[in-house]
Amino acid sequence: MPPMLLNNRLLNNIFSNARLAGVFIMLLLLSGCARNPVLLQSTYQALPPHAEITSVPFYAQTKFQCGPATLAMVLNHQGVDTDVEELTPQVFLPERDGSVQPEMLATVRRYERLAYPIRGTMDTLLGHLAAGDPVVVMQNLSLPIFPMWHYAVAIGYDLPNETLILRSGEIERHSMSFSRFDATWARTERWGFVVAKPGTLPAGISVRNALEAISAYEETHGPRATLSSWQAFVKRHPTNAMGQFALGNALYADQQPDAAIEAFRRATELDPTMGAAWLNLGLVLTQLEAVEAAIDALTQAAWLEGSWQQQARLALDALKKF
Amino acid sequence: MKTLRAYLSTLLIAALVITSLPVAATPTAPQSMDLVSTQSVLAADRAGADRERINEILARADVQDQLLKQGVDLDEVEARVAALSDAEAQQMADQLEQLPAGAGVVGALFAVFVILLVTDILGLTDVYPFTR
Repeated sequence: MPPMLLNNRLLNNIFSNARLAGVFIMLLLLSGCARNPVLLQSTYQALPPHAEITSVPFYAQTKFQCGPATLAMVLNHQGVDTDVEELTPQVFLPERDGSVQPEMLATVRRYERLAYPIRGTMDTLLGHLAAGDPVVVMQNLSLPIFPMWHYAVAIGYDLPNETLILRSGEIERHSMSFSRFDATWARTERWGFVVAKPGTLPAGISVRNALEAISAYEETHGPRATLSSWQAFVKRHPTNAMGQFALGNALYADQQPDAAIEAFRRATELDPTMGAAWLNLGLVLTQLEAVEAAIDALTQAAWLEGSWQQQARLALDALKKF
Repeated sequence: MKTLRAYLSTLLIAALVITSLPVAATPTAPQSMDLVSTQSVLAADRAGADRERINEILARADVQDQLLKQGVDLDEVEARVAALSDAEAQQMADQLEQLPAGAGVVGALFAVFVILLVTDILGLTDVYPFTR
């Protein structure tokens, strides 16, 4: 027998074995992945069985522009007058044939709305929908090796049938089983966000995400425009020192030094190790010529180790010389 | 690019140090002292403050370059960079190439087509609307 043939037969054997093994492994993997996403029992109890935010308008995506299309839908829903043509040059990357997450959030802020990333669980997603907030979700509709990234707007759900309702691509009302949706959503680490007007903080947003989102808004629109959002944050999380501190800064920018002092004071009560709060408290008190109280606050700030210690010492020295 | 970055970093460090000096030198009028901003406290929470600021300034230049390379109009680039928060600018500068870009259309080979058809039917993917 010529060696060539032997090799061929051997190869064939190996291939057919490998194929069998491959099919077997595939089946194992698939049966492992395809189980339903488990919702918390409390979700079934707390949420209405059906919800659908029908007032979200629909823009069919053209070519690769699901980013601008989803933004147009949620921004219109929030009362912003804009459309896909206007949004495309702001968020679309021609060479990538798509839009990236940071710019999706940044574009929302350009229209004077806040973009809050949500907690990545099915329970919170449904909670936002029940509360009337459509959620922009990022999915990988395909498999990780041939990714097909996609943005869509989740607008509702049907708990008994375990389906999610989306405005997606060219489909105005795309209903999709929880399990299929969660499989595609999990491939983006369950990324999604809700859009809100300044002064409103949707329920269910994590403390850190809220702080980052409001702070990012403040970076582009200034502390005065952000005051109402900090007030909403503090109302929701009254014991968060960082929130009180941020509120103090916004009040100060809004020429309300007395209210700012109160907020900084609360921040120092909630977190006595927060040097920046002691420092700002001392600086505002100095401006109001409340010298003794200012010296107290700056002494605390100068005593705490950290990035603000040096500035506090200088302010304290200057004040004592006066 | 590397050497340019190195120069720029040194320059920025120097600039930051120098701009912070007058505060120490002048016989302070305390009224003019700026409060510590919310952003710098949040940033300090994320990592070391000054190094962070330098990186953020560099990041914005990087992002500008990258956006131009990705085909964004020159007129739009500046507004788009300005709309990013420092943290987002940094993320874009570090990994724009790797960031997934939502597009929503696939140009798949036949083999891929078959695999995705199967995974679609199994409810793992959502590529072909006609599978439902």
